[in-house]
Amino acid sequence: MNIRFYILRRIALLIPTLIGLSILTFSIARIVPGDPVGLAAGPQATEEIKAALRRELGLDQPLPIQYINYMTGLFRGDWGESLYTRRSVIGDLRTFWPATLELTTAAVIIATVLGVPAGVISAMYRNRLPDHVARVLSLFFVSFPSFWLAMIFQTWFGLDLGWFPISKRLPVLVAPPPATTGLFLVDSLIQLDFETFLVSFRHLFIPALVLSFGAFASITRITRASMVEALEKDFVRMERAIGIPYRVIIFKYVLRNALIATITVISLNFGWLMAGAILIETIFDWPGLGLYAVKASLSLDFQPIMGIAILYGIVFSIVNILTDVVYGILDPRIRYG
Amino acid sequence: MACAMFWIPARGVSGDMTDLLNIENLHLEFDTYDGVVKVLAGVDLQMRRGDVLGLVGETGCGKSMTALSVPRLIPMPPGRITAGRVSFKGEDILSKSESEMEAFRARHVGMIFQDPVTNLNPLFTIREQLVDAVLYQRAQGQKVPGRWRGFLPSVRQIRQEAHERAVELMRLTGIPDGDKRIFDYPHQFSGGMRQRVLIAMALAGDPDLLIADEPTTALDVTIQAQILRLIRSLVAQLGLTVLLITHNLGVVARSCERVAVMYSGRVIEESPVRELFNNPKHPYTRGLIAAVPQKDISRGGLEGIPGMIPNLINPPAGCRFHPRCGAVMDICRAAVPPTVAVGSEHTASCFLYPEDP
Repeated sequence: MNIRFYILRRIALLIPTLIGLSILTFSIARIVPGDPVGLAAGPQATEEIKAALRRELGLDQPLPIQYINYMTGLFRGDWGESLYTRRSVIGDLRTFWPATLELTTAAVIIATVLGVPAGVISAMYRNRLPDHVARVLSLFFVSFPSFWLAMIFQTWFGLDLGWFPISKRLPVLVAPPPATTGLFLVDSLIQLDFETFLVSFRHLFIPALVLSFGAFASITRITRASMVEALEKDFVRMERAIGIPYRVIIFKYVLRNALIATITVISLNFGWLMAGAILIETIFDWPGLGLYAVKASLSLDFQPIMGIAILYGIVFSIVNILTDVVYGILDPRIRYG
Repeated sequence: MACAMFWIPARGVSGDMTDLLNIENLHLEFDTYDGVVKVLAGVDLQMRRGDVLGLVGETGCGKSMTALSVPRLIPMPPGRITAGRVSFKGEDILSKSESEMEAFRARHVGMIFQDPVTNLNPLFTIREQLVDAVLYQRAQGQKVPGRWRGFLPSVRQIRQEAHERAVELMRLTGIPDGDKRIFDYPHQFSGGMRQRVLIAMALAGDPDLLIADEPTTALDVTIQAQILRLIRSLVAQLGLTVLLITHNLGVVARSCERVAVMYSGRVIEESPVRELFNNPKHPYTRGLIAAVPQKDISRGGLEGIPGMIPNLINPPAGCRFHPRCGAVMDICRAAVPPTVAVGSEHTASCFLYPEDP
C-alpha cells in the first residue's frame, strides 16, 4: 500500500474517534455528582434564579438536544463560556494552551534527543561503564519527584548561578512576539526576532529540562531494551559476517528496529507530560493550561472542563496519527499489512 | 577522491599453493552458570582454494562454532579460545583487532545461515541491504559515502554502480526480475528466494571463502535441492571455495568433494566424499552412515548409535566417543587418539588404526 493512502486512512479514522470522545466527555461532564449551577449561582440563590440560569445555559433541555447544540457550537468555534469568569472557553484555551504545548513539546524533544543516544550507548556497551552510568542516571531521574528537582534547579541555575530566569515565559518588559502559533520560540523565529527568541529560550529551558527527566528515563530504558533485543537478531550476525561495519549495523540497521518501541513511548510520554505539566507550571509560574484545568475541575465549571478534554483528545489523536505514520515509515510490514 | 576508495585488489596468485584456511588444534570454551562448556577440543581443518568441504556431525558437536571462528563471530565473553590457531592465507586471524576483522570479513569471507527469514533485515529493501553489502565489501573497512550524500555526482556514480552490481548478483543467484524486485522488502519474497538474496549478499565482494551454515535446513525439500544446485553452479562458475555445514549426509553426498566428520568438538575423520561413504574408518562415522535411512527401510528398520551425545561440561576422558563405541579399548578411556592417515587423503582419529611409522 502506498504511504499516502496509509496516512489518509489513519486521518479518516480520526473522525469516529473524535465523535466517540465528544460523547464521552459530554456524558461525564453531565453525570458527575454536584450541581454546577448551584455552585455558580451561589448559596443564597433561590430556585427561580437557579432555574433561570439553567434555562440561560440550555441545561433545561433534553440531553441529546444539549449534545447537538454543544457540537454545533464546537464547529462554529463557540466552545461555551466559563460559569464564573464568563469568559469564552475558546479564548482562554487560545491564551493558555500554547504555553503548555511549547513546554511539553520542548520537554519531549529534550528527552528524545538525550534519551535515544543514551539508550543506544547503553545497549552498545551493555553491562560496561557507559551502560551503568546511563542506567543509574535514568533511575535517578525517575526516582526523584519532578517538583523537587524543579525547585533544586530553580535555586541552583536561577538564583545561585543566575544563568537562567526562574519564572514566566518572558520578562515583564519584553512584549511577546505577534501570535501566529502562540509558541514564542516559533513566533519570534517567524519575525526573525532573535533577541526575543533567545530570551524566551532561556525562560523555557529549565522548566522543559525538568519536565523532560521522567520521559528521558523511560525513553532511555526502552531504547536500551529494544536495542539489546534487536542486537540479538540473526540479521545482525549475518551483517557482521559479510563485513558491514558494526557502527553501520548499529546506527542504520539495528536502531531502526529498536525505534518502533521508542516511538510508542515517546508518544505516550507526550500525553503524560501534557497532563503532568501542572506541577512544573505552578513552580515556574508558567501561564499554561494546567492551573486553568485544575481550577475548572475543582469548581465543576463544566464548559472549560469539556473544552480541555476535547482539546486534549484532539491533540492525543493527532499524536497517535503521527505515531502511526512514523510506524508505517519505519516498518514496511505495518504499511502493507 | 571518493572513487579511489573502490579499487578492487588483485587476487594473490601465490596463495594457491598453500592452504587457504588452516585451523589447528582449536580449543573453545564457554562460561555458563553450570560450568565451563568445552565446545571445541582440538579442531584441525585445512581447506585449499577451490575446495568444497562438507562439515557434518550431530547437533552440538561444534560444527557451527568451528565455522563461526573463521570470521570470529563467536561472542567473547562468554566464549574463550584457550588454544589453537586459525590462519587464513597464512595470516593469523585470532590476533587481529576488531576493526581489522571487519575489513577481513568484508574482503575474504561470505557467510550464509540457516533461516533466510530471520537473516534478512525486515525493515529495509533488498536494494538497501544488497547495495550496502556491495559497497562495504568493496571498501573493505574504509569509509563508504552514505546515501544522504547522494547529491554528489561521484557518490551517485558509486551507488549507481553498486546498484547495477546488486542486480547482477540477483541474476547470478537466479532471482527473476531482479531489476524490479530489488525494490521489494524481504517479506515479499519466498523462503527460497530470500536464501538466494542472502547468497547474493555473501558473494557481493567476491569472497575467497563461502561458509554455508546449514543453508537448506529451514527450507522445503524441493527448495533445498534448488539451493544446493545453485551453490554447485556458483562453485563451477566462480571457482568458489565452500565450507558447507550440515547434519545431512545426503546434502554432503550431493554437493561436496571432501567431508570432515565432527564429534564432540573434534574432527574425527576426513576424506573425499566417495571414500567416506564406501570405506568409513571411524566407528562413529560407520554408525552415522548406517543411521541414514535406506530404501529397504521396511525390512531392516532404522539403525542408530547407542547412547547420547556427551555432556560438554564433564566430557568423557580420552576419546569422547568411547562410551558409545562398539570397538572400545582400554587406551580409548585414557588418551585422546591422534589423527592418522588411513588411506590417500583419508585421515581418522581412532586407536583402531596404527600411527604412521
